[in-house]
Amino acid sequence: MTVGIHARRPRTHVTGAASAAVRPVLEAPRSPARVLAVFPAGVYLEVRTELEPSVLAVITGAATRLPNSVLLAAELPRVTVGDEAAVGDGSIELGRLSVRARRWWDPAPPLGRVDPVRLRQAAPRLTPGEPGLAGNDAIELLAAGCASGRLLGAVTAAERLVGLGPGLTPSGDDVLAGLLVTLRHLGAAAGAERAVWLADWLAATVTYDARTRTTPISATLLHCAARGEASPEVIAVLRGIAGRQELEPAQRQLRRLGHTSGSDLLQGISIGLDTVLAMTQAPSPPQSLPHVPAMTDAPDPARALSVTG
Amino acid sequence: MTRDAVLLRKGVYHDSVTLMRVSRSLSDLPGMRVAIVAMATELNLALARDLGFDLPPADPGDLLVALRGDSVDTATGELDHALARLSASRTQTAADQPPLTTLSAARSPADLVLVSVPGEHAFCEALDAVHAGLPVMIFSDGVPVDQERRLKLLAEERDVLVMGPDCGTAVIAGVGLGFANVLRPGPIGLVAASGTGAQQVTCLLDQAGAGVSHVLGVGGRDLSAEVGGLSAMRALRMLDDDPATELIVLVSKRPDPAVARAVQEVVETLGTPVVSALLGERDLTAAAEEALRALGRPVPAWESWPGWSPTSAYTKLKGVYSGGTLCAEASLIAGAGEFTDYGDDAYTRGRAHPMIDPTLRLEALAQVEPGDVILMDVVLGHGADPDPAASLASAVAHATHHGATVVVALIGTEGDPQGLHRQAAAFREAGAAVFTSNAQAARHARNLL
Amino acid sequence: MTLLSGPPHVITVGAGLLQESLDAQAVPTTAVAWRPPLPGTADALARVLADPRLPAANERAVGRLTSARPQLVGVRRASEVLDLPERMFLHAGPPIEWERASGPMRGALIGAMLLEEYARDVPAAEEQLAAGRVRLEPCHRHATVGPMAGVVSPSMWMLEVRDAEHGGTAYCSLNEGLGKVLRYGAYGPEVLERLQWMDRVLGPVLSAAIELGGPIDLRAMIAQALQMGDELHNRNRAATSLFLRELAPWVVEAAAGSAAEVLRFVNGNDHFFLNAAMAAGKVSTDAARNVPGSSMVVAMARNGTDFGVQVSGLGDRWFTGPAGVPDGLYLGAYGPADANPDIGDSTITETSGLGGFAMAASPAIVRFVGGEVADAVAATRSMYEITLAEHPAYQIPGLGFRGTPVGIDVTLVARTGVLPVVNTGIAGRVAGTGQVGAGLVKPPVAAFTAALLALADNRK
Repeated sequence: MTVGIHARRPRTHVTGAASAAVRPVLEAPRSPARVLAVFPAGVYLEVRTELEPSVLAVITGAATRLPNSVLLAAELPRVTVGDEAAVGDGSIELGRLSVRARRWWDPAPPLGRVDPVRLRQAAPRLTPGEPGLAGNDAIELLAAGCASGRLLGAVTAAERLVGLGPGLTPSGDDVLAGLLVTLRHLGAAAGAERAVWLADWLAATVTYDARTRTTPISATLLHCAARGEASPEVIAVLRGIAGRQELEPAQRQLRRLGHTSGSDLLQGISIGLDTVLAMTQAPSPPQSLPHVPAMTDAPDPARALSVTG
Repeated sequence: MTRDAVLLRKGVYHDSVTLMRVSRSLSDLPGMRVAIVAMATELNLALARDLGFDLPPADPGDLLVALRGDSVDTATGELDHALARLSASRTQTAADQPPLTTLSAARSPADLVLVSVPGEHAFCEALDAVHAGLPVMIFSDGVPVDQERRLKLLAEERDVLVMGPDCGTAVIAGVGLGFANVLRPGPIGLVAASGTGAQQVTCLLDQAGAGVSHVLGVGGRDLSAEVGGLSAMRALRMLDDDPATELIVLVSKRPDPAVARAVQEVVETLGTPVVSALLGERDLTAAAEEALRALGRPVPAWESWPGWSPTSAYTKLKGVYSGGTLCAEASLIAGAGEFTDYGDDAYTRGRAHPMIDPTLRLEALAQVEPGDVILMDVVLGHGADPDPAASLASAVAHATHHGATVVVALIGTEGDPQGLHRQAAAFREAGAAVFTSNAQAARHARNLL
Repeated sequence: MTLLSGPPHVITVGAGLLQESLDAQAVPTTAVAWRPPLPGTADALARVLADPRLPAANERAVGRLTSARPQLVGVRRASEVLDLPERMFLHAGPPIEWERASGPMRGALIGAMLLEEYARDVPAAEEQLAAGRVRLEPCHRHATVGPMAGVVSPSMWMLEVRDAEHGGTAYCSLNEGLGKVLRYGAYGPEVLERLQWMDRVLGPVLSAAIELGGPIDLRAMIAQALQMGDELHNRNRAATSLFLRELAPWVVEAAAGSAAEVLRFVNGNDHFFLNAAMAAGKVSTDAARNVPGSSMVVAMARNGTDFGVQVSGLGDRWFTGPAGVPDGLYLGAYGPADANPDIGDSTITETSGLGGFAMAASPAIVRFVGGEVADAVAATRSMYEITLAEHPAYQIPGLGFRGTPVGIDVTLVARTGVLPVVNTGIAGRVAGTGQVGAGLVKPPVAAFTAALLALADNRK
């Protein structure tokens, strides 16, 4: 059993930076973890915990700062898929390394107030490129449901999209992540409370059974997105839309992520932006909404499901 | 035995530099007096003739080898070897050449320059940053005030922030620069003319779970009449514009009155509320509490480990500090006593800051007398002593054994490399009363008298 | 204001402790390899850098230097175009008198005495020169540059180069070839015979050819030659070839009878273009002179005894230090003991972003700098540390067509302690010897610190 051997080997103490999203997992009592995937610039660790993110990305400088990541100030240790690790009590024990955070970054930095006029100007400038699910009717349904404020359509479409598509982060999940983050941040920034409200419902829907419906890493990223947490590339596009930085370079950077991940995220952002705009135009809930009680706190996922059912 | 040898190689071409190099390597062989390896141009043939070599007819395309010495055969043998070796193309990538000036470094993308060269040289590097349109933090002290003024006036033109000189602490989006603590991200931003003052406020906010967006240091002289608060006013506007910052805390010694008015005018234009922590008006702990209340957050009981109540009567209060603002704050609160700031320029000439090098404070602790109340700060975080308790705790224990009592203001966070609780435990075990609020530590010490 | 939008990339300069703490936080950094400035320059640096005129002045100076468009417009006699009366010679480098002149400088002056027939023989020439019967002035004072000894006498033919951008004009003599030549201080009969042929045939033919076919765009030709492996100081093979190709038809048209011997002469001398490159450098750097407050070097030149620099903001003042002996490779059996200290105005190439500064463009001669292409690349790269700009037209293919480093700033020399890399030929120390090698030379620190201190004095 490898655990015993690992425990006896002297560990190299290294430091790094971490997304504030992983702080609760890192500071919880120590839990066992195992290596889920290994890439040249990062290692995914699945932690036995009820907290989210339950999958951590241990990365080096070259990798995207996913909202569940811990950035090492050292080389990655040599590990293989299935290796045992441990996370908690302030550190990550991975291979020969014991990692502690010396810096925290905010994966959900607020955008401040944004004039909806600015958002309207930015909307036609969003160019998602070639998303993996272009033309898929679930995407159409999601866009239409969100823009018209019909919760039933949006939630139904979201359910169909979870885990849809190939790869470590299926396209459907990326679109949903882009949408969720956008609704949360731009909704708050533009004062579109209904967009934030919609984000609560969608978040509850997609995170309810994400762990069983998609890959563990994608499920974790959906949990992060549900809270508005994203990589700096996504945040940069939102800042671009809000007029806080150049939009074009930010879009280019984002589109470069993964195979279609960047474009999928952008597609989600685009749907989210249209939704926020529709909801700032029509501040009161339209008549066609299904009858749901007005809520300010995150809704009970079971109730969200009963609505869709 | 010295002899001449002349060889002609047809159709062998090498450039003249390669050949000069071969010539040199052959003439360096023991016993060789002359070695000419060159293309047989008129010029080179004439050179060889001048040296007395007897030459056969040759074309400029021939390789001429003229050797004189007592190891001519060895030299001939070396020739081909040398030619092959020297003309071999070796593809090498240039070793990385680091930039030698800030000017050069700023040609590649960057967001901030951190200058910590000796004060007399800091101006040049900081100026490069400002010219390049980059914000700069000048950690260096000993920069003349006219240079500071010049830098900050230029920074106004270039629309960049100059933090410092003598700016010990800054935090930008979680990145700790200089002496700074590991802080959780949050809604409170600081503008600080005092490094340790900023550390006290941010550590308390972190303890309260509130978190910090940025700490913009401006340097201890910024709010003086000469500098006019240029950086403080700019930093206030920057934080006002920052969406992550919901509340600003301004930490400073009491500013020049005219500067204070100018700063107040800027504060009134901001959309973000500002809580000021001006030394002598409101202590740092009270400022942190005020900031929490302004955001509607609960104010916790600041962690402390006062220890047992002393029975003996203490007679004299001695402040043994490393942080200037902390020292001044404690002195004001205590009202009496003998306070020394070992971080002052007078004590740091030719030695590291007491936050790194404990020597002077260890000496001070070794000289305590029965009846003394020792009030001291221990500052944790980036850049500070990796384990201050390792050296100071035994000195504290020594002092308590000799009839003194020690009160420690421990400035840090649990996330700091040294670990707040680990350090607190060590000082507690050594017999000290430990407070995370300097103001509370000072009151406790005062009340022991 | 983007500082606060996320974790910054930090340039660190100074204490290692602060760098380490950023490393521990996994913060991206660029560490400056800082070292204290040259001794005695700290105050002057602070004063000069505080001059509010400095950035704009240097931008203007280097802008004029790099925007100059040198064109070869004519070949004319020195006596016609220069203020060069009878019994006056120009020479390379800062001012010098006979007593302090080195062997090759003396040899070239003697040769010029004989060429102009001011003296019948060598002893008579020496006697007149020693008695001060001939006036000596630096080429640089007369919009002229001369390679090695750089002696210009009234009858010599000069390349005339005009700056089509700013309108200046500069001159340089015709290149005599390699081996025993006047510019290396040789004055034997074969030297004088060649000069007389140049006077009789080469000059008039080139003059007529340029008249027909000129002007020739030197900026374009230099740019092209850099991409063909020249650095335009120690290697001019590509440029000479390009020049010959451009010139040949006009030479034939101008003087069919002498064309073959003229073309053969030019073809036989890989350095023929050097003199054109020097005049191009001179006209470009002259465009950058006299910008008040500028700390940019507009001339580096050596007379075989002193190495001197001139700075844009300091007019025509020379700042000098002792000329060093080049470190290089030697012809034949010559060695370092035979070498004269550094000599010539050809450092105008380095001053204008060529020569040693463009070493990375010239793999063929990298062995001068230590043998490897990497050393040449390192030499050029290190020059970016002391220059103000990258040349917009002169580019180095091996560095991704990055412009050559151009516009030496004395403040950067003082701050980094990095001295300009100078490629050079090596003259024999005994008058009459000629060239003994080629290599690299280090300029004296004193020349640059003196210039910096003078700039600081100007600020008082």
